[in-house]
Amino acid sequence: MAQQANVGELLSMLDSPILGVLEDITAAFKDNLICDRGPMLVNNLVDYYLETNSQQALHILSTLQEPHDKHLLDKINEYMGKAATRLPTLSLLGHVIRRQPSWKHKLSQAPLLLSLLKCLKTDTDVVVLTTGVLVLITMLPMIPQSGKQYLHDFFGIFGRLSAWCLQNSGHVAETYLVHLHASVYALFHRLYGMYPCNFVSFLRSHYSMKENLETFEEVVKPMMEHVRIHPELVTGSKDHELDPRRWKRLETHDVVIECAKISLDPAEASYEDGYYSVSRKLCTSLKHHQTDPSASHYIDTQSSYGTSTPYSTPRLTLSQMPGQLPQILSPQSMRLSTEPQQVTIWSPSAVCGMTTPPTSPGITPSESSQSASQPYSKAFSTSAGGKGTPLGTPATSPPPACISDDFVHVSLPSAAATPPKKEDKPDPGRPLLYRQQNVTNSEKSLDTPGSKSSVTLSDLPEFLGGLSFEDSAEKDREEDAISKEISEITTDAEHMVPRGGFDSPFYRSNESLSGSQKKTHSVVSSVQGHGLTSEPLTSSLDKPGPESARETPKQTFTPIDKPCGGSGESPAGNREGTSGETSILTPSPCKVPAQRRVGFGSGQPPLYEHLFEVALPKTAYLFVGKKTEELLKKAKGTQDEDCMSSTSPVEVLDRLIQQGADAHTKELSKLSLPSKSADWTHFGGSPPSDEIHTLRNQLLLLHNQLLYERFKRQQHALRNRRLLRKVIKATALEEHNAAMKDQLKLQEREIQAFKLSLQKEQARYHQFQEEHENIVAQLHSQIRQLQHDREEFYNQSQELQTKLEDCRNMIADLRLELKKANNKVCHTELLLSQVSQKLSNSESVQQQMEFLNRQLLVLGEVNELYLEQLQHKHTDTTKEVEMLHAAFRKELEKAKFCVQQQSQRLDASQKRIAELESQLAKKDHLFLEQKKYLEDIKIQARGQLQAVESRYKAQKRITQAFELEILDLFGRLEKSSLLKKLEEKTEAAEAAEERLDCGNEGCADTVAGYSEETIGRNGETKPPSTRGSSSSKGGSSSELSTPEKPQNQRFSSRWETSMLLEPSTTVPLTVGSLPSSKSFLGMKARELFRNKSESQCDEEGVTINSLSDTLKTELCKDPSMETKAPPSPDNLSLSPKIQESSVGQLHIMDYNETHHDHS
Amino acid sequence: MADDSQRNFRSVYYEKVGFRGVEEKKSLEILLKDDRLDIEKLCTFSQRFPLPSVYRILVWKVLLGIIPPHHESHTLVMNYRREQYWDIHHALRIIRFINDSTPQVDVFLRMHQLESGKLPRNLAFPLEPEDEVFLAIAKAMEEMVEDPIECYWLVSCFVNQLNSKHKDSLQQLPKILEQYLNVEDNRLLMHLKACSAMSKLPYNLWFKKCFAGCLPESSLQRVWDKVISGSCKILVFVAVEILLTFKMKIIALNTAEKITQFLENESSGCTHGLCVDVGWGCEPDLELSFYG
Repeated sequence: MAQQANVGELLSMLDSPILGVLEDITAAFKDNLICDRGPMLVNNLVDYYLETNSQQALHILSTLQEPHDKHLLDKINEYMGKAATRLPTLSLLGHVIRRQPSWKHKLSQAPLLLSLLKCLKTDTDVVVLTTGVLVLITMLPMIPQSGKQYLHDFFGIFGRLSAWCLQNSGHVAETYLVHLHASVYALFHRLYGMYPCNFVSFLRSHYSMKENLETFEEVVKPMMEHVRIHPELVTGSKDHELDPRRWKRLETHDVVIECAKISLDPAEASYEDGYYSVSRKLCTSLKHHQTDPSASHYIDTQSSYGTSTPYSTPRLTLSQMPGQLPQILSPQSMRLSTEPQQVTIWSPSAVCGMTTPPTSPGITPSESSQSASQPYSKAFSTSAGGKGTPLGTPATSPPPACISDDFVHVSLPSAAATPPKKEDKPDPGRPLLYRQQNVTNSEKSLDTPGSKSSVTLSDLPEFLGGLSFEDSAEKDREEDAISKEISEITTDAEHMVPRGGFDSPFYRSNESLSGSQKKTHSVVSSVQGHGLTSEPLTSSLDKPGPESARETPKQTFTPIDKPCGGSGESPAGNREGTSGETSILTPSPCKVPAQRRVGFGSGQPPLYEHLFEVALPKTAYLFVGKKTEELLKKAKGTQDEDCMSSTSPVEVLDRLIQQGADAHTKELSKLSLPSKSADWTHFGGSPPSDEIHTLRNQLLLLHNQLLYERFKRQQHALRNRRLLRKVIKATALEEHNAAMKDQLKLQEREIQAFKLSLQKEQARYHQFQEEHENIVAQLHSQIRQLQHDREEFYNQSQELQTKLEDCRNMIADLRLELKKANNKVCHTELLLSQVSQKLSNSESVQQQMEFLNRQLLVLGEVNELYLEQLQHKHTDTTKEVEMLHAAFRKELEKAKFCVQQQSQRLDASQKRIAELESQLAKKDHLFLEQKKYLEDIKIQARGQLQAVESRYKAQKRITQAFELEILDLFGRLEKSSLLKKLEEKTEAAEAAEERLDCGNEGCADTVAGYSEETIGRNGETKPPSTRGSSSSKGGSSSELSTPEKPQNQRFSSRWETSMLLEPSTTVPLTVGSLPSSKSFLGMKARELFRNKSESQCDEEGVTINSLSDTLKTELCKDPSMETKAPPSPDNLSLSPKIQESSVGQLHIMDYNETHHDHS
Repeated sequence: MADDSQRNFRSVYYEKVGFRGVEEKKSLEILLKDDRLDIEKLCTFSQRFPLPSVYRILVWKVLLGIIPPHHESHTLVMNYRREQYWDIHHALRIIRFINDSTPQVDVFLRMHQLESGKLPRNLAFPLEPEDEVFLAIAKAMEEMVEDPIECYWLVSCFVNQLNSKHKDSLQQLPKILEQYLNVEDNRLLMHLKACSAMSKLPYNLWFKKCFAGCLPESSLQRVWDKVISGSCKILVFVAVEILLTFKMKIIALNTAEKITQFLENESSGCTHGLCVDVGWGCEPDLELSFYG
């Protein structure tokens, strides 16, 4: 509650007149809005606004931020539902939307839109409808994509309102209808611009119905005359134009401009890009239709101007401008500079037309003439007689005459200054002209430049007129608005600010963009010429208008304007900025704004304006200027068009307003009363309420319209800003390009200079080289000569040297000879001395020889003497001695020979002995060896023999073992058979004997031997006796147990005993219970037995016994003899007797033999 | 020449360092190269140096007279020996003293008995002490020699030699032992005498079986080398060494039975190192003193 109260308080203070409080309050509200998210404050504000229509509240509402938009929309929606508050609500909505809040995209979803549509469909109040439609139109470009769902609603509204316009169902004031019509027209434009296909199809379907046909004829058709065919109709489709992609790239102002592009209505249209030429052509063609002679004339003049420059140049004071400009400006600019001359003629009229309210010529001719000066009347006549061609032609024809006038009065100072420069002009101008023509030929088809130029020429004045018209119209409107709004709450400043800032300059710059994009440089420059020339003219011409016709605030700035224009032009037009002469020629786009600024003096010079001045290079000025000119042309064209074709609803509205204003002023002037209110009262009572109501409504409608237009303007301004930036960029780039080109040229020049110098240097270098070569050659020749000389000298020196050497050799030879000679001399001296010595020697020898010869002779004589003595002394005794000697000698020789013989024999025998001895020794040795060998062999054999013996022993052992085994087995056999017999006849004694035999082994030695013999005897007598067998068995058993040695011992002992016994010869008797010891049988038996018994143990004498086979019979015959010889069985050298016995034994052992014997 | 010089060069060094008899293999080979083997030289050689195992069997056979000193007759004699062996073997088989399953040692024993004519009448006859000796020696020999025939001959000749050649000296050995022990270690001898163990020392094992089954094979071979070459005094030195080695333990024992038992057990178990010692350490010196 406190807050609410607080809010109420704040609201009450919202409109306080104190500025500080106001700011505080708004700040407080904004703070509140930021803090508070609830709908309360917004609702209160809306209520307050609806109640008081407070501007502050409106301001706050229109700047609402995001979270509050919903509340606001809801609130508005709520109020929209009520018929009473509908109108203010709509106006509020309009205000809000025009601000383009950040949440504008939400509008399409808000229920507000629906209710707005519904309102538009159902409401019958024209004011509401108009306001609503305007709001809708404003809203549409903001929601291009999301609005498509309501497309048919939009179309339906259009249909309804268009029908409404015609039918005028309610008795509504005609003035309202004009407003409505204008807004419907705007809606038509918007819908056609945005959704052409859908819209056209709607139109097709809607107006194909008969009941609507009239509406179409009356309302829609005229509208359609003001639009071109939308390209989307050709390329697009219903669906395609609803495609979100189409809208994505476009901002609100883009959409607005898009819509404006397709408009042919000058009030609506904006010419850009491709549309420009088309629309202009359209205009020109239209114009040609009506002003044939003038057109032809212009063409003629133009062509004459184009070809004959000398003709035009001298007259042109203005031409100094292009002359001063860099060469970039083509002669066409010069040629074009002629146009301003014409323009100057026309300008007064245009200015007048402009300054005067742009009323339709038909309305108040008189009035215009009132305010207009003499040129104005001319202008009026053209503007008024736009339809009438005859009027136009005289207007155009006078130029030449007027030019001089005009220039005299406008730019005399400059003209005075320029003449010296003019003379220079034609020379550069001419070639440039040709060049330009070439350029145009090459770059464009011949038709287009021609037509273009013609158009420009012809249109120029019209453009100027148009521009001024527009300006004036706007100004008028402003004035109206000011006067009206003063009465209301709105402040004038608010309106003034944007207008002064944005209006004209941007309109122009806007246009310049398209031009800059499209045209080549030369063409552009030529067009710049237009702009340049036309601009100052308009400005300068602008001045007299207000001066003469007005006493409004504008008059105040006119005096300032002039110097300002003069001063402003100079820096803008020429870079030098020093010459004041160019003041007329060089207009600056900022000049007009500057004027405005000064004029309005509201202290709001847009920030960018001075930047504009700085930023825009000259070329940009030119662009802008050109564009303005084009705009002027266009305006003129449209004006003409307006005149000739059906007026657009906007025009109608304008006229209506104009009329109203006129009427108002008339009334006022009539009344000449200070105030209107007084007026009414003066007239008697209050004015009729109805009237007031309608007027108020009208006012409201006008305001709405105004607001809508302002919105549009803002959009344009936005776009202008953007385009301007592009222009600046482009121009900057061009400047840069130009600079680069300049640099390039400079560099090329430098390069050429360098090349030249290079050539020079090369030439010099060549020269130097040649000189150098010459010198070198000279030097070479010198060198050669010198070398030659040197060689000669060398040769000479060599010759001399050889000579020298020869001389030296000769000297050496001579020295040698000298030495030799010396030697010879020495030698000869020596020889000489020797010879002298020899000589002395030989002399002494001769003396000796003589002496010796003498001696020889003496000795010879002595010898002869001695020989004689000898011969006498010799006798005969020698013969005997000699004989004896010989005899002895012979004897001696004989003896010697004998001795020799003896000694030789001795030697031979001795040798023989030695030989034999050696042989003997050898033999001995051999024997020894043989012995050794034999020994060896013996040993070897013994070794082998030992092995064999051992083997043999082993064999013996084996056989012994076998025999033992066999005996054992036999024993067993016999035992078994004996056991059987024993059962039959048991003999105790035998048994006892048996026991005795088997019982003791120890004593068996002697007993066994004894018993054996007995057994043998017994066995002989009765072989199968058990006793014998038993005894043998016992023996065998004893043998088995006893080892070999004892056996041997036993046998040997037995032999010993037998030997001991035999000599006594009683032994056989004692032994013998033999049958008869001397009988053959007995002997045999005994031998047999003995052999048998011996064979068991005594095998040693086998070999030896076998040797004496022959003796055995004797032995058998005489056993006594046998016994006599005491044999030892082991001895090999047995006595023959024993040998016999042993042989006999052996023989007996051989059973077969004995058997043979027996048998 | 190169070989000889190398051998000489080395042998000088070996002798300097104290290794005697490194070259004995070569010298033995030289000895064995003689056609008529000089048995006396072989004897001295084998008494002085241990025989290389390659030639040991051959030398033994020669020394024991199994093969004659002439190389020519070696094969012939060996053939005889073999035939004899097989004959005896065959006979024994015939009289069923042996069969396939009879241990080789028993076979040898029977064969020896047969050959010496002491074959008992029956298998069941108890073994006599000399048979035990034979078995022990045969067992030891069997481990040394692979060929049964050679083994048999070696065993039987060895035993024959022991019985014939060394019979007298063997009986003297205990006395000599005492004598040497007195020289070497009087205290031990006194101790033994105090315990009256001198008479109960395992003389049978030491002297009759020639340490067969008491020493490990390698040592035994070396001992037997000497025995076969005719010196049975080696047995005494081995016995003395054994006693000295186990001196401390023997002294610790008091009774003769214990000492005997210990010596019988111990000497069979841990005399390996000892025997190397015996074989190499003192033996040659003593031997030299003996034979020198």
